[in-house]
Amino acid sequence: MTFPEFFQILVAAVGSIGFAILFNIRGRRLLSVAVGGGLCWLLFLLLNRWIENEAGCFFLVAMLVSLYDELMARVLKSPTTVFLLPSLVPLIPGASLYYTMVGAVSKHQADFLARAVQTVELAGALAIGIIASTLIVRIINWILALIRLQKNKNSAKK
Amino acid sequence: MTEITPSTEKRDLRPFLDCAMEIGEQMLVCGAEVHRVEDSVRRICYAVGAERVDMFGITSSMVLTVRGADGKLYTQTRRVTSLETDFHKLDRLNRLSRRICSESMTVEQIRDELDAIGRIRHYPFWAECLAYVMISSSFALFFGGGWQQAIVAGVISVILRFVVELADRMIQNAIFSKFLCSFVLTALTFGAVRLGLAPRADEIIIGCIMLLIPGIGFTNAMRDIFTGDSIAGVLRCLEAVLGALAIAGGYYLFAFLTGGGAI
Repeated sequence: MTFPEFFQILVAAVGSIGFAILFNIRGRRLLSVAVGGGLCWLLFLLLNRWIENEAGCFFLVAMLVSLYDELMARVLKSPTTVFLLPSLVPLIPGASLYYTMVGAVSKHQADFLARAVQTVELAGALAIGIIASTLIVRIINWILALIRLQKNKNSAKK
Repeated sequence: MTEITPSTEKRDLRPFLDCAMEIGEQMLVCGAEVHRVEDSVRRICYAVGAERVDMFGITSSMVLTVRGADGKLYTQTRRVTSLETDFHKLDRLNRLSRRICSESMTVEQIRDELDAIGRIRHYPFWAECLAYVMISSSFALFFGGGWQQAIVAGVISVILRFVVELADRMIQNAIFSKFLCSFVLTALTFGAVRLGLAPRADEIIIGCIMLLIPGIGFTNAMRDIFTGDSIAGVLRCLEAVLGALAIAGGYYLFAFLTGGGAI
């Protein structure tokens, strides 16, 4: 890990704390959001070494960080939404939205379209990542409920 | 509808219904997903003795109909206009709704707790300004800007905080506020670059745009669509897209007014 990369992770975490303050998050939750923001970019940098496709990377990172948020939500007993947005902020495609705007103002149609497609692609990958983690959590919950039911049945027999 | 239920066993549902709606409304305002709001209200109503609960919510309205053990139907509608993300409040509301479900609270207890939650303060204004600086400066650096761009982005973001305040007082409309912010931001940035305070405009604008991007709407939209509240999800998605268009609009207006020369 080079210094610029480490620095980028650090500023991602600081940005996440900023959003957490705007959303009135306090105490231990603030800390876990900061870790989430840093984790977001750390995972991206690691995964990007093996996966060339940026959108694919965004999807995986969004999914893993959302799972981390779901975990923190259960540990700290808060709704998942509280952690979700501030910690996923480094993945919001602000830069590609900006370059789309620049493309729209300039006369280069092809440039604009390519940037617009990229923005939609990244936002879509982020969305599917969030959805995938919700799905995984629901399946896990279902399995846990089944196990609990089985246990209750067994104890009732005894 | 004024008679009191005679039975001592059954509790009068109406005041509870009102409390449940109040909690639901506050949760929606604080930035919860529609699914969570519907689920919480439903659970509260069942916990206080309703036989059947039909709750429907979208981002701007909620309808609740409850049938009590006495067979009477009660209904209430709420129009939700404001949206002020406050996760600390949401957290407390969530805990309150769990408490109502697990132990039997009286209406007075619930009202007291709601009052206490209503008194929760946001971070002070200077802390919000600091948060704006943290966000814009760190994302200017994050997207590859230098320290000059980070400083300029920080200064502009503080000005933006005041613009947001102004826009909120003039017209309470998130889209308009984003449009105005985007315009001011672009103008200030190109002014600063013209004065030679920073080498490039790109990273400054990106850092500040992160403040305006409708992220909360977007993440909640995705969760709502998946959990079956597709109408609420699509509405939120549309709001997020409109927000993004408003940001682009502000930028475009500045480019248009200056004839594209400054950009």
